[in-house]
Amino acid sequence: MLFRIDAKPNRLTALTLSWFLFVSGIALYFYTSHNRHLENPEDKVIPSLQQLTTGMTDAFLKPDTEEAAPEGLENASLGRKFLTSMLWTDTLASAKRFVWSMLLLIPAVVLGLHMGMFPIFGQFFLRFILFFDKIIALSVLPILFIAFGIDELAKIMLIVIGVTPTIILDTFNLTKGVPQEQIVKGFTLGAQDFVVTYSIVLKQIMPRVLNSIRLNLKAVMLFLFAGEMIASQDGLAFRIALLRRHMGMNVIIPYVLWVALLLFLVDLTMRVANKKLHPWFREA
Amino acid sequence: MKDIIRLENIGVTYSNKKVLEHLDLTIREGEFVAVCGQTGCGKSTMLRLILGAEKPTTGRVLIDGRELPRPDRHRGYVPQKYSLFPDKTVLDNITFGPETEEFGLIGRLKPGFRRRRKEFQAQAYEYLKHMGLQASDAHKYPDELSGGMQQRVAIAQALIMKPQILLMDEAFSALDPGTRSEMQKLVRTLWKETGTTFLFVTHNIPEAIFLGSRVVILGKDSPESSSKVQVDMELPEEAHSREEVERLTRVIGNATAGAKLELTYAE
Ligand SMILES: Nc1ncnc2c1ncn2[C@@H]1O[C@H](COP(=O)(O)OP(=O)(O)OP(=O)(O)O)[C@@H](O)[C@H]1O
Ligand SMILES: [Mg+2]
Repeated sequence: MLFRIDAKPNRLTALTLSWFLFVSGIALYFYTSHNRHLENPEDKVIPSLQQLTTGMTDAFLKPDTEEAAPEGLENASLGRKFLTSMLWTDTLASAKRFVWSMLLLIPAVVLGLHMGMFPIFGQFFLRFILFFDKIIALSVLPILFIAFGIDELAKIMLIVIGVTPTIILDTFNLTKGVPQEQIVKGFTLGAQDFVVTYSIVLKQIMPRVLNSIRLNLKAVMLFLFAGEMIASQDGLAFRIALLRRHMGMNVIIPYVLWVALLLFLVDLTMRVANKKLHPWFREA
Repeated sequence: MKDIIRLENIGVTYSNKKVLEHLDLTIREGEFVAVCGQTGCGKSTMLRLILGAEKPTTGRVLIDGRELPRPDRHRGYVPQKYSLFPDKTVLDNITFGPETEEFGLIGRLKPGFRRRRKEFQAQAYEYLKHMGLQASDAHKYPDELSGGMQQRVAIAQALIMKPQILLMDEAFSALDPGTRSEMQKLVRTLWKETGTTFLFVTHNIPEAIFLGSRVVILGKDSPESSSKVQVDMELPEEAHSREEVERLTRVIGNATAGAKLELTYAE
């Protein structure tokens, strides 16, 4: 049954199968945690449910430091507490950098498009960007910190070096992949170069470009986190790196899950938006 | 009638492979030229030369007496595949030409655009009806249409520009026989109505005879040589009946297989 290509599990089996690893993972975690706590009630490596709850309440409902707490927070609503919490302020700091990196992908798409459409542009940039693409972004991190200091610019540049070449080249290839017929057709319908470029080619590749960006979200986050962990005063990755020093596993684990949840939501939003914006698009 | 397309001593070479050589062909305004020939003989290449999508290695392509640098709105194009913009509805595909010509990329923001767009859409509906499509198809995307319907839209999209020349490259090759014969009738009717010069590339000889007021067959004498015009025959109106098409197909088949290639309709 297991290795049959035409196996058709029924709904219950399918459900059981797909959740099995989650359930057993969680079970194994708490089993190990329980055993370790029997030996040492103070164990911090694999926090118990109770420790995790304390960690989460602290992270989700309390500000980073006592001084940062506004007046009367004690009696405030849960929602308000959350908005001043450590987790939320960290999320905002990271989100700001994330949005900046996303905005920087717009010129990358435009560049890739122009390289694909206008041969002069293509010749000017292609070789250089192919080279640029081979640079391991993390290896230039020290150079970036020396050149741009340890403030925001260096972190954004890390993302630029890490992700934009991929997006530029993807867009370039997608542009090149548009059938010649479509471009000739555009000319015969009275379109000039920019109309062909933007109204015909870009419109057509847009859903694929968005997909490519979506698939590169993890890379964006990777470089963002690397930057934050090494040189930052705030942000989700900064917090995780900081907590490591205190072995704050009961906060690190919720943070890791929170980041995964956020990324999942961004991914979902982009997928849904892509479908809504391009109802004609069929995934090949 | 004046000459609208002149191919003068055309040669095309792709990386040492001579596809066309010493090709001369003159097409007069209002003709329906059906170009036929075996696969790989250079039919599409010839069509791309006339479109201006490609440059000949030697010789000149004159449209209305001038060499034109690239495709433009005076030469309509219906390819076999990718003939419609997949991201635009049927209606937007048809109005794309007129809208773009008048407003370009940014002109769409101008105040008069919406009113003009309504007018173009009204025109587009006329064309749709004329091509045998329903108004309810107007808001579908190309891949929701059958192959035959797609090509109807593609023809409407080209004709709304009122081109001097309409170029079609194997436009019906992907269609089933029934649809194909319907489309052939439609195209012939459109040709008579518009008086536009049509150039239709196909590898199907009966189709060429049924459609063209003139049939041009490209072919090679031997596999190594480049293609030349083997047959160039004017067809009167009565040549398009079913019996005549069958007879002429045989005649042309025999002639291209043998050596006698100077055919006229009377034979
Ligand atoms: N861009 C190109 N580079 C190299 N060779 C080419 C190119 N375009 C066409 N050819 C070659 O030129 C020859 C003629 O091609 P063309 O497409 O004009 O043939 P065709 O008569 O339209 O054939 P078909 O009926 O298969 O469409 C073919 O042998 C083809 O392989
Ligand atoms: Mg061809």
